[in-house]
Order: sequence, then structure tokens, then C-alpha cells
Amino acid sequence: MTTYLEINKKQVNEEKWEEPFYLNMGPQHPSTHGVLRLFLELEGETIVNCTPIIGYLHRGVEKLAETLNYNQTIVLSDRLDYIASAANNTAFALAFEKLMGLEVPRRAKLLRTIVCEMARICNHLLWLATHALDIGAMTVFLYCFRDREWLLNIYEKICGARLTHTYVRIGGVRQDFTQEIIDELYKFTEEFPPRIYDYETLIDVNRIWLKRTKGIAVVSAEDAINLGLTGPVLRGSGVPYDVRKFRPYDAYGEVDFIVPTGKNGDTYDRYRVRMEELRQSNRIIRQCLDKLSETEGEPVLAENAPDLLIPEKVRKPEPKPVPKKGVIFKGEEVPVVPPGEAFASIESPKGELAVYVVSDGSGKPWRLRVRTPSFVHISAIPFMAKNHLIADLIAIIGTLDIVLGDSDR
Amino acid sequence: MRILEKALLIEILKGLALTLRKMLFARPVTIQYYDKVRPIPAPGFRGRHALVRDEKTGDTLCIACLRCVKVCPSRCINIEYETDPETKKRKIVKYEIEALRCVYCGYCEEVCPVNAIVLTEYYEYIGFKREDLFFDKEKLLKNWDEFIVTQKRPYLNPFWKPRGIPEKFLPAKKREFTGV
Repeated sequence: MTTYLEINKKQVNEEKWEEPFYLNMGPQHPSTHGVLRLFLELEGETIVNCTPIIGYLHRGVEKLAETLNYNQTIVLSDRLDYIASAANNTAFALAFEKLMGLEVPRRAKLLRTIVCEMARICNHLLWLATHALDIGAMTVFLYCFRDREWLLNIYEKICGARLTHTYVRIGGVRQDFTQEIIDELYKFTEEFPPRIYDYETLIDVNRIWLKRTKGIAVVSAEDAINLGLTGPVLRGSGVPYDVRKFRPYDAYGEVDFIVPTGKNGDTYDRYRVRMEELRQSNRIIRQCLDKLSETEGEPVLAENAPDLLIPEKVRKPEPKPVPKKGVIFKGEEVPVVPPGEAFASIESPKGELAVYVVSDGSGKPWRLRVRTPSFVHISAIPFMAKNHLIADLIAIIGTLDIVLGDSDR
Repeated sequence: MRILEKALLIEILKGLALTLRKMLFARPVTIQYYDKVRPIPAPGFRGRHALVRDEKTGDTLCIACLRCVKVCPSRCINIEYETDPETKKRKIVKYEIEALRCVYCGYCEEVCPVNAIVLTEYYEYIGFKREDLFFDKEKLLKNWDEFIVTQKRPYLNPFWKPRGIPEKFLPAKKREFTGV
């Protein structure tokens, strides 16, 4: 296989520049949303071939998780998709709860659903802002960040952090909402739909937007399934697959919402799907807030949830000899967490996020595997970018909604 | 009709009208930092670390149980202690936090059985050298003194006693705790 390095060297050494033309886009290109590097083979300005090169943000999350206990692993999950960290927390916590056989209280389920949907709105707002900015609409960027800031302020009140929440914990959530937060969220859900309308006024029928998005990167339903695409990208092609509907987790089974789908599978349809999802998320938050009043005063953590400090090894407790009271922990080792394996997947804002964990009985995961949507979506870039212009590649990266922290792990 | 709309740039004019309306009638949401400081962060914001100063002894409350050391995901806490041979009580000699390693998850303050450590709501701190953000015991106690004068007493950090957590999960001392 001739590597990109060899090709580059050859090109530099020879004086004459010949077709095809090779170009490196990234890893420091402002439009590649982080440290994505694309090696392009060009014919004029048309992309003949495209090779994504990733790994610039690799931190070894999966290996690192093997040295940390289950609650500490949730802290790592914040750093995967740092735009919607509440969704990552939930995926990890769901897998660990399945492993330990915990039942989460209803109030905690509702709270998780609310923070997950807030994360979805946060993510889609940031996506819309950067996508529009890449294509050339500046005002949308400013408006979206204004509204995202509001949600981040609410997050700050909920859990004390704006970006890396660590709010979800095994067996529930870390703390309850206050009345102040609930009131503010009600206010947000009331004021948000008109704002979505504002964004649409700016770009929905704008002729520049339509020219840049309609008919760009068309993916048929069959291709989308074959490429392993999930989330809004798959739904834009007309496949109504949504984990929230197919395998409801948390409180999604009891709320009412629609899964929006597109028709043509182009960039514009994916944009429409995400805009509709913003509205549906708003609806879900509203319904969950109404349900919160039913569970007033209930605990937010399961009775048999593990402590934050999960020990590595535990020995069998034995009663002490009679004069001294209490128990001593000696004798054979007993498993802290039941040995076995568990799999959980959620609908993260970017697509299906799945966690597979294997336990050997100690307090740490023996193996942890994360299936992140961004990684799969990056692998679809070569297919989508073929025979498009370089300018359209920017739109394709934007429409896939990639976060490199998510893909490189 | 479609052609007329297109020729007259109706959709672009609509967008321009929206931006003009926002420009004239909406208030700016940006803050001119540093002239105008952002409103105080919400209670429980996970900011600069501090060790709570015991008002009776003037020293820290820490009992060197090492729970914070064990729970820290980034392993940024380092404690050295000595044991009194007579009373069998532990006393800390060294308490160090490397703030540059810290991920601000707040687990340490949640597991502390005596509420000795806290992530204060103070967030405007910088250092010109790495050592400036390497907090030893004296610096941590100083952080607390700086922070507590800006707060209403008694002060209770939400993570010392998380809302809605069953009492079973709290150590005995934390259950009746109402603040310092």
C-alpha cells in the first residue's frame, strides 16, 4: 500500500505537479471539527478519493477504565463526547447497572431523561451553530450559543459543572433537582420553540443554504444501513430507527414523542431531522418535568447501589470471637461485583452509543468496549465525499456531526 | 408567485428583518469581562480546592482516612500521616493536591466522612508556574479562608450532603451536619 507520506514526498520532489493532486486537510484545519485529518485525492477541485486519518486525540479510555473502579470510569465517559456528556454518563451507568442487577428509582430515571434531552438540545445547538458557520451563516452561530449558554447555566445549578458533568452515577443520579431548577427548565421549555423558529427563519429557505445542502452527500436507506450509520444521519435517509423507541431505557417508555425521518437522505434532510428533534426533546423535557411532581421526595439513588468507593477486593466477613463484638473480614475472597458481562446502548445525540463490559468479580471492569457513533460516521466520509467538491466536504463533515474525542477515545 | 418571491428576495429580507429586530430590541447577553464579573456561580460549583479550617483548633478537620485518595479518578491527592502511639489517632503531616491533574468530579468531597475537603465556588485562579497550582496543606487552608469570608454562614456545600440521597449512604457525622 502506498502511504500518503510516500505520495507526498514524491509530489514535492518532482517539479511538475500532475493529476491527481494530493492534499492533506487537517489535522489543524478549523472546519474539521477538531483534529480530524483527511487525505484527499483531487481531480481539479473534485474529490476522487478520501482517506480519514484519526487517532490524534487517542487517550486510551478503554484501557484506562481497566485500572479504575466502576464509578471512576463514569468520570472518563465525560471526556468522550464532551458536548453531551450526560448521555455518555447514562450509557456507562446503564451497562454497569445491568451488570450489578440494580433497579433505578423512578425519580432518578426521570432526572436522567431530562439531563439526556438537555444534552441533546445542547449538542444539536452546537451542531447547528458550527454547521451553519462552516457553510457561511454567521448569525445562527451567535443565536445558538446564546441559547446553549442558558442550558449550561442550568447544568451548573444541577451538578456544579458546565461541560463535564459526572451527574449520573451507578444506581441513580448524584443529587436531586431544586425547585429553582425546575422553574427555570419550565421557563426554558416555554421560550425555546419560538427560538427554533428564529433559526429556521434565517436558514430554512435561504437560497444559499439550500444550494449548499440540497442534493449534497445523498445516502440511500440501504447504503446508510450498510455503512452502519445511526442517529439523525440514518433517520435522514428515512429509516425510523431510534433506540429510545426500540429498546426504551430510563423513562423513555412513558413519554410521548415522534421520531422524525427524512426522505431524500441529503444534507438538508438531516438538518430538518435535527431541527425536529430539538422540538421533540423540548416536549420530552416538558413531560418529564410534569411527572417529577408525582415523585416528590423520593430518593434518587437505589437502595442497593454501590458506594462511590468500590473496593478492589472483599473477603468474607466472619463473626469475631465472643468477647470482641463485630466482624472481621478474612478468609476467602468474594466478588465485589457479580462476574459476567453486560451490554447497554442508548440513543446519544450523535447516534447509537453502546457500552459492553466484562467483569471478573473485582471492583474494576475486566474489559470495557465503547461503540461510539462518531467513529462509525467518520468511516462513511469516503463514501459520501466521492465526486463532490472540496467545499462540499466541509458540509459533509458538518452534517455527520463528528466529535473527535468521541471517535478516538 | 414562487418566481416573484424569488425575484424579490423575500426569504432573505425576512432573515434580515429578524436580525435587525434582535439588534434593536434585544439586550446583549455577553458580559464585558473583566470590567463586569459574571454573576456568582451556582451553589455547588466545583471550583478551587480548599481544606476546611476547624475554628476551635485552627487546623484542618482531616482524620487521614484516605478515602479521598482512593476515590480520586486522576490520583491527584497525596496524603502522609502519622499515628499517635497512645491514642491511636491519625494526624496528617502532608496534604497535597495537584490542581492541574484534578478533573473536578467532586467525588472527594462526597466521600469525605468529616467534610474536611471542599471544592469551593471560586473559579478565577491562575498560576504562572506549575508550583502555583500545586496546593499543599497551608495553601489549601488559605484557600478556605479566602473563600469563606465571601459566604454566608453557616456554609453547606451541596456535595457534602447531596440532595435526595438516602440517609444510609451518608456517614453518621454527615447526617446531622448543617454547615460550618
